[in-house]
Amino acid sequence: MPEIPDSPMFDREGAIRGYRLNKMAMALSTPENRAAFLDDEAAFLDRFQLDVETREAVVNRDWQEMIRLGGNLFYILKLSAIDPIPLLHIGAAQAGMSPERFKRERLGEKQWHT
Amino acid sequence: MAHLVGGLGTSHIPSIGVALDRGQDTGDEWKPFFDGYDFPKSWVAEQKPDIAVVIFNDHGNVMFLDRLPTFALGVAERYEPVDEGWGPRDIPDFEGAEDFSWFLADKMVERHFDPMIAREIEVDHGLQVPMELFFGRPIEAWPVRVVPIWVNTLQYPIPTPQRCWELGKVLREAIDTFPGDDRVVVMGTGGLSHQLQGARAGFINRDADREWLETIGSNPERWTSMSREDYVEVFGSEGAELIMWLVMRGCMNSKVSLKHKHYVVPTSMTGAGCVVLENC
Repeated sequence: MPEIPDSPMFDREGAIRGYRLNKMAMALSTPENRAAFLDDEAAFLDRFQLDVETREAVVNRDWQEMIRLGGNLFYILKLSAIDPIPLLHIGAAQAGMSPERFKRERLGEKQWHT
Repeated sequence: MAHLVGGLGTSHIPSIGVALDRGQDTGDEWKPFFDGYDFPKSWVAEQKPDIAVVIFNDHGNVMFLDRLPTFALGVAERYEPVDEGWGPRDIPDFEGAEDFSWFLADKMVERHFDPMIAREIEVDHGLQVPMELFFGRPIEAWPVRVVPIWVNTLQYPIPTPQRCWELGKVLREAIDTFPGDDRVVVMGTGGLSHQLQGARAGFINRDADREWLETIGSNPERWTSMSREDYVEVFGSEGAELIMWLVMRGCMNSKVSLKHKHYVVPTSMTGAGCVVLENC
């Protein structure tokens, strides 16, 4: 498989490793689990047997690290629904930029045409 | 027999739904985006389709990695909007075209596509947003019955662009042989260029997006000949969702006319837009 830099889609080892992290995040799809997470995050995370590194990344809301550890954005995005964090900030964190710089350098000026 | 009225391609970004929920579609930020859907909406209203086949991907809302089909076909009588983490959205359920779904299931398997067949399943923004963009948001009920087709674009290996194109051919065969006089519109959704994950997050390719919208009708071979890796490289890891437009394009005649195209960039973190295609 050809390497495309910085695109974790092709990181199969990561995807396999991140299964529990993604499973924890997927569980946040229900209002009951969201309430349980908000009520006692540590107890909620205990249910999913995350390794130490992964657990720390979740607790710190370290998006870059969660993705590096095999988190898939579409699952871990459910964490951002709990502590509302804009997608732009998650993108910026992965690019290692401030949201302002990320917006300017990556997304660019708004243009439209029909 | 049923009749294919045309093909629509569109982005399905979740923030479009959020903008509608908050009534921001006429505000400064969103107006340029929604304005480009005036023509498609009136086109759809004129065509009066009975069935909408919507090709989209689940975004980790309905399907988990425990069992993730490459292709799935809905045969349900009703599809509810799923809770994506913010609670379910206040839009009507989607009525399924069960009869056509089962007909298509038979045709797909006969033609060696073997989808997961889903009889009780919810739908996420991948289906909701295109329906809202093309049909407007109804208070009571959608004016059309739906057939959802899910394509895995979330976990590698995703299907090849060529395979998506071939699925379109089978879909067309099913439409052309389905008894009755239903009018069918096919919607390919996803894209345009974006990448949400990894250090390349925020990647957008404006030139490639424009070329896509300009030539998906006139020169689909340009896009079916690309590999999956090419898609990720050119359109970003999540922009590779564009392969789902190839199901729609593959379903249409080799010659089509491009009735409308529209592009707004950036929308959320993507290049966004739509096309309306009619068979020649």
